[in-house]
Amino acid sequence: MDTFLSIFTIFAQPELLLLVGIGTFAGIYIGAIPGLSVTMAVSILISFTFSWDVLPAISLMVGIYMGGVYGGSRTAILLNIPGAPSAIATAMDGYPMAKKGEAGQAIGVTTVMSFFGGLVGILVLAVAAPYVSDFALTFQPRDYMLLAVLGILLVGSLSSGSLVKGIFAGALGIAIGAVGRDPLTFTERFTFDFQIMEGGISFIAVMIGMFGVSEALLQLQNVGMKAVRQKIDKIVPSFGTVKKYLPLSLQTSSIGVIIGALPGTGGDIAALMAYDHAKRVTKDPEVPFGEGAMEGLVAPETANNAAVGGAFIPMMTLGIPGDAVTAIMIGALFIHGLNPGPMLMIDQPDMFWFIVGALLTANVFMLIFGLTGIKIFTKIVEMPRSIIIPLILLLSIVGAYAVNNSLTDVYWMLGFGVFGYFMRHYGYPLGPVILGVILSRLLDDNWRRAIISEREDLGRFFEGILTSPLSLILFTAVILIFVSQTPLWTSMKKSLFRKAKS
Amino acid sequence: MDPEFRGDTDHHDGTSDATPGGYVEKRRPGELGFALFLTAASLFLLYSAYGISGFEALSAPGAIPMATTFVMVVAAVIVTVRTSRLPMVTSETLSKDILPGMVILFAAFLILFGLLLKPLGFVPTAALFLTVAIKVLARKGWGYTLAVALGSLIAIWIVFRVVFTVLLPSGIVPEAEFIQFFRTVLSGGAN
Repeated sequence: MDTFLSIFTIFAQPELLLLVGIGTFAGIYIGAIPGLSVTMAVSILISFTFSWDVLPAISLMVGIYMGGVYGGSRTAILLNIPGAPSAIATAMDGYPMAKKGEAGQAIGVTTVMSFFGGLVGILVLAVAAPYVSDFALTFQPRDYMLLAVLGILLVGSLSSGSLVKGIFAGALGIAIGAVGRDPLTFTERFTFDFQIMEGGISFIAVMIGMFGVSEALLQLQNVGMKAVRQKIDKIVPSFGTVKKYLPLSLQTSSIGVIIGALPGTGGDIAALMAYDHAKRVTKDPEVPFGEGAMEGLVAPETANNAAVGGAFIPMMTLGIPGDAVTAIMIGALFIHGLNPGPMLMIDQPDMFWFIVGALLTANVFMLIFGLTGIKIFTKIVEMPRSIIIPLILLLSIVGAYAVNNSLTDVYWMLGFGVFGYFMRHYGYPLGPVILGVILSRLLDDNWRRAIISEREDLGRFFEGILTSPLSLILFTAVILIFVSQTPLWTSMKKSLFRKAKS
Repeated sequence: MDPEFRGDTDHHDGTSDATPGGYVEKRRPGELGFALFLTAASLFLLYSAYGISGFEALSAPGAIPMATTFVMVVAAVIVTVRTSRLPMVTSETLSKDILPGMVILFAAFLILFGLLLKPLGFVPTAALFLTVAIKVLARKGWGYTLAVALGSLIAIWIVFRVVFTVLLPSGIVPEAEFIQFFRTVLSGGAN
């Protein structure tokens, strides 16, 4: 009970409340400005907050995360430019509404539905996480290893049409994570006799480069894009409107939580899947999808905010990030001496409840800020990219340098930025790389522990998998995900479909 | 849901990580070259991984690096073969769509930034970078460029150097003395 009361810590310390508020406010604008992503903002922020106490640092990051996921919808509606990847689906019906002069109504509904989705996600997190955490205590090293492989495969398969590119990206991430001296034997790995590589590559430098620099370089091709001015008036939706879309938002919130909880996915995929779901279940929309259907706004917006709570479930209970932002937050917790995973819930349950409280508060702030200040907002998002891009690059450099006061990290960041730029152009997802870097240690350590406990015998290792129900489920999931993405499976599915049809 | 669904038809540039760039049934300019580069790099990394501990033991420090780089080689070869079979996108060129002059210029700016950061210090390097970058991108007068660049730099410097106390290379600017001077002024010379 005492630990549960930590949910209210935020109200006992006004500065934490202020930080959540500032974070949410900033997150809405960061998420809304095309070219500034939440992942990038949090990855830059981590380098500035690592000298802070853990609670203020987490408060700020949680606020930015929650606000940022919502903020992307603003520019998607007003400018047809999704400010964040999670708002791509929102633009499809939001912008046609804005073209009809209904931007205010669209923003109002998305704000209320984002709040509702966020609430569902947080409630599921609060209820489910302690159970998942208890269950996670029964995990063997081989289960953790399989879980790491599963996470990387999932993000590879869900985030892209090409599984093989996702697998490549995940494996690359693991290899990057292995650079430096092996913590168990002190053997040098991928250092090529360079002393500066012995300490490994800072994952923050990799993240800022891949998400920040590569994004800024991509945006250089859209510098001339002009913002369309909008007339914004009454935006608070009526009770009747909210009630009408509540059943759909409940369904899409569930999609959001589940997709968000899958390691490595996140709000963008949740929103696209929810949009697809809304299209299938809405038999008779008032306006066709793609031309300003309200259902096309409600579905992705509830799902992407519900995914926030979902993404925290694997992060807090298993130490496996739900998406790129939670991957960075795991890094932040590590920096502050905390070890996310089942033991965190046992050793420091107050931290879990504090995060739940911070998320709830951020969700309320999001509703307040979302429904107010729209006029200032439209001015800020009209800021030209010719100013935004140099600022992103400068902040990336400052952020990478500040982690270790090292120029080497800046060079790594620039290198990964350019590499990430090409990866984006040619359809290689970046998520698995980051997930690979984060999970590299988990995979390596647990593989070695598992195989040593089986006396280096692969037969015994697989026997262990087959005789443990949990390992068997995880192993089957790994195989299924892999097989389901192969051409063999697609042709099998097609022939089955043809047979059923005939 | 259509696995190739990308949200809209224009996001082939990898704007979102959930919907990575590229075309499904076509090859973008330079895509095969990139795939070949990845194959070569993966082979080199596999060779390096073998050098860590060879096939000494399943729990050896080189086991996971060897396994992952082997996966990289296999994946890169599959991608290369698949890419080589695809027809080229006719509406794009390498210099216009993949590597335009502006991207090369900014990559050069960033390298220069990194090289000048230590000897020159953060403030002058950042001022130089912001001024040139905004001038090149906005194509407006020097008054506008300098006002925006220096205004942004002052805001960033106050937030990160003064508020967050991030230590950035001072170089030729006596930053510490400058901050101390203002502290003395603000405290009414109490120090």
